[in-house]
Amino acid sequence: MTLWFLNGIKKGIKTEKNPDESMFKPDYPSVLEGKSSYDCPTGAISNGTWIKEKCIFCGRCDLRPTGNQNIYNIHGKMPEIFKRSFYLYPIDSGTCGACNAELKSIFSPQYDANRFNIFEAETPRHADALVIMGVYTNGMEKIIEEAYNAMPDPKIVIAMGACTLSGGIIGSGINKKFNVEIAGCPPTPYSIISAILRYRGD
Amino acid sequence: MKYYKNGIKSGRLIGKYKNYSIYSEGFISVMDEESRMYEKNPDEINFAYGPSAGGLEESIGFTLQTPGEIIKNVDVNPSYKMRDIKIINDDIYTALLKIERVNGYHAASNSVCFLLAVEDALEIENSDSNNERIIEIELERIRSNLHVIKGLCESAGFSVPEKQVSYIIERVSRIISVSFRHRFFFGANLINMVNGNIDYVLKEIGDIEKEFRLLYNDLLASKIFMDRLQENGIYKDVNSIGPAARAAGLKYDARIDSKSLLYDGYKICTYSSGDVFARFMVRSNEIFSACDIILNTGIKKHYMKKYDLNKSGEGAARIESPQGDIFYYVKIDHGRISDIIMSSPSVLNLYAFKKALPGNIFTDFFFVWESFGIWVSEMGVNFI
Ligand code: SF4
Ligand code: SF4
Repeated sequence: MTLWFLNGIKKGIKTEKNPDESMFKPDYPSVLEGKSSYDCPTGAISNGTWIKEKCIFCGRCDLRPTGNQNIYNIHGKMPEIFKRSFYLYPIDSGTCGACNAELKSIFSPQYDANRFNIFEAETPRHADALVIMGVYTNGMEKIIEEAYNAMPDPKIVIAMGACTLSGGIIGSGINKKFNVEIAGCPPTPYSIISAILRYRGD
Repeated sequence: MKYYKNGIKSGRLIGKYKNYSIYSEGFISVMDEESRMYEKNPDEINFAYGPSAGGLEESIGFTLQTPGEIIKNVDVNPSYKMRDIKIINDDIYTALLKIERVNGYHAASNSVCFLLAVEDALEIENSDSNNERIIEIELERIRSNLHVIKGLCESAGFSVPEKQVSYIIERVSRIISVSFRHRFFFGANLINMVNGNIDYVLKEIGDIEKEFRLLYNDLLASKIFMDRLQENGIYKDVNSIGPAARAAGLKYDARIDSKSLLYDGYKICTYSSGDVFARFMVRSNEIFSACDIILNTGIKKHYMKKYDLNKSGEGAARIESPQGDIFYYVKIDHGRISDIIMSSPSVLNLYAFKKALPGNIFTDFFFVWESFGIWVSEMGVNFI
């Protein structure tokens, strides 16, 4: 273990400083702006209005990315008790795997979500938030319900990605009330952290 | 179809889709897999794990039969998150959006293979873009193999190297994003065209190689890590594909034995022990060879052409994705998909996992699982 301890120290700090300044923010997905009459494959352009929850950021329309990744909705405020530690339990309803990978990425050294007191729970019994990803699938409906019921109160639900919010291009979304809705296909690690911090009121 | 024959069992088995068995040179509509039930001994218990649990990245259910410590048998149910994806009657570019999302972590392999099948069906000459496609797939291979190595470090409770691999993975994702517009190659592929700029890939890839080599040497120097990997989850079977086959000494690789996307002068990397360690070695060495391929594959500058897609035909393609052979067959009727068959590498890899696990102890479960790099998303797809 000494080898790894020294090795870790030798590499130095890799975590990026301020989430709003130095975290990597790609163009897709980000807030889209402009006008487009393109026949959007997911119906994300309706009467000239862009609907972020439906957008899969395919880049085929004339709407242009701004780089602003605050593409989420917050409903209400985070319970005080979660402010010191916030445990997420991810649940995959029917993903392509990319949302799962991006959620894991928030714990990579570049983002290091742990420093914001955000952690991953091994079981719903230890979780504060259920993070639902993917489209509705028959096989996972009951499992999601069981996971939610197993969580202690207070508890919240985060919806991650176009599939969960609207079905995206793949199927139908999940019919549930969400406290936090993060758009994107998939949402970037930056967006996920930013949404949680905003919900917390930081 | 230039390279594949419908109704002919020819070459090695590369996968299954619905009631088709897919071989490297043809496919037939029979399911020949034996479905043998395991008979549990009275002293054994069933231990259920999943479909949702902390250690699992995707939803999948396992039932382990065990008398205590040793695993005697495992039943796996990958169908909890089965997605019905409506694709029949879609035009090619709408279908492509869905193909990218069959397995988002391997969107480059899936979309390139699908487009090669479409180009075969519509007799579109595609040599202009194939080298760029190779670079893209090799970049995807680097990230995918790193993901497997990260899983092995996690299984060993080695958090420092696990974080170091995560760091490299994130760097690769950013290279992909800058070069191909999206962190998972969504939107990067078109008919005979790659929507990307590989200059940034060429600039950064040497650094990725250097960074991974340091970590690889440190992992090899760790006796504890090696002990956990060696003689664990041994699998040697001719019905295997990708890194699992090559780790058992089999020279199976679509990069040299499929005409759909041939790599010039590629040398297969193999290992012989067929255990988790061998799969780790093959995956690691394929990261180095992928860096080499990226640096040495010249690309031809070319421009977007307009193609008449409102045609009919059938086509097929097979390429080497990071987990092994991936195959697409498409039938197109006046520009719309009228039939599609996909063989994902995870199907045979799951079969391999089921064979490799019995005889190991509980604590080895995650090493064996992670070493096959199985993605549930691509198995649980039903095209309708
Ligand atoms: S980016 Fe794609 S999904 Fe989003 S609004 Fe434009 S066309 Fe629709
Ligand atoms: S939202 Fe997009 S990235 Fe996430 S699971 Fe759905 S298709 Fe995949």
